[in-house]
Amino acid sequence: MHLDWTILWGNPGLLILQGLVVTLQLSAWTLLLAFLLGLLIGTVRWLGFRITEPFCWLYVELARNTPPVVQILFWYFSASYVLPAWLFIGMRDVGYEFGAAVVALAIYHGAFVAEVVRAGLNSIPPSQFDAARALGLSFPHSLLRILAPQAARIALPPFVNEATSIVKNTSLAMAIGVTELTYQYKHIDSFQFRGVEALAAVTAIYLMLCLVIAGLGHLLSERLSQHVVRRDTPSALTSE
Amino acid sequence: MEFERVWTMANWERLLVGDLFNQGVIGGLLMTLLLGTSAIVLSTALGAIVGVMRTSSWRTISAASAVYVQAFRNVPLLILVFWAYFFPTVFGLQLSKFASVLIALTLFTAAYIAEIVSGGIRSVGRGHVEAARALGLSPIEVQLWIVLPQAFFNMLPALAGRYVVAIKNTSLAFLIGLADLTEIGKQIGARLMTAPIEVYLTLLMIYFVVNRGLSMLLRALEDRHRFNRVFMRM
Repeated sequence: MHLDWTILWGNPGLLILQGLVVTLQLSAWTLLLAFLLGLLIGTVRWLGFRITEPFCWLYVELARNTPPVVQILFWYFSASYVLPAWLFIGMRDVGYEFGAAVVALAIYHGAFVAEVVRAGLNSIPPSQFDAARALGLSFPHSLLRILAPQAARIALPPFVNEATSIVKNTSLAMAIGVTELTYQYKHIDSFQFRGVEALAAVTAIYLMLCLVIAGLGHLLSERLSQHVVRRDTPSALTSE
Repeated sequence: MEFERVWTMANWERLLVGDLFNQGVIGGLLMTLLLGTSAIVLSTALGAIVGVMRTSSWRTISAASAVYVQAFRNVPLLILVFWAYFFPTVFGLQLSKFASVLIALTLFTAAYIAEIVSGGIRSVGRGHVEAARALGLSPIEVQLWIVLPQAFFNMLPALAGRYVVAIKNTSLAFLIGLADLTEIGKQIGARLMTAPIEVYLTLLMIYFVVNRGLSMLLRALEDRHRFNRVFMRM
């Protein structure tokens, strides 16, 4: 088979770049929403309200134990039945594949982030909280200024794993036709028969994205741990 | 909600075993479980080898295993599936869909399991190794009888998580047209046309029951006594 790498400097290269932009947008939105959702659910679960706990448990277990791609299909195909007609028609014009993928991936990864947040908060000895309260700090103040900074240091490595996971899982959005990197590879393969070259380029891009995120996370975690004596970090909660 | 259109006997049969009884073609949940368990067994074997290599004091070997882990962990599984499916055609070979998904899933999962295994081995105290060596066991005997059994127990929670992820990841098979649970569900959804919520909720439910069952089964082993009863009778 004849491989022609120069095609990457032509139209296929542009398609891949467009795909990269969509992948980055998808990852950024998903990361933001999953982080907020996970922060909320994780903190609520850590607080241990008896009324909310069954719902939080159900959400986390349902989201974690089902494949992300099926969740994407579910949110995408049920959009026309769940959303009100005017909103659906409005969204159909701009394309709701992107929105559906973001919602599904954010819900999926939010459950993992919630577990990371909860594990991070649980790893702080309760005496820290009690001491803060005893010193007269208010409840939100002791949560934000005393517990959160310590928990963040512990929760950072698994959270960075989660971020690379999100970048990798955005490739599943091609199942509903979001024009991200993997979709562009399929497109180039089907219409220009340059599958191997495009696949190699796309693979390299994903590899670099994930390694850069992992590297940045490592730097940040070193920075947050400057004041701490080195010891083994707890095993990471990871997901796919 | 019109579950009665989705939950017919014919649809359940297709979802669970595919066209096994009509045309002898395995599909649905049976295919998913077949793919999942094969991938779990193969990737545990490969991951154990790569993980032990990772802890080797021989620099080349541990570096090679680190490269393997980083290369396969940082690429989406879907991309690996496409590589496995299309790359052999460059050499005029054509793997079956099942084989290519299995290869991709095995290589991908093994990279994670290798990390778990090397972490597990490191978690066994050096004192154990030194004591066993002092008692006259050879290095291989030390690994086999002292380090790995203890490491395995420490690895169980992480391994259980990876196994659930492996089962979830089999759902990517539908993107290259293998008739797994997701593909059958999608076909049923396409034929009914007006009941996507019911179809996909049913799919999610089946996956949930399988994965939750698997993780509960593995969690039962995290009890030290039960673990010893099952694995330490030698």
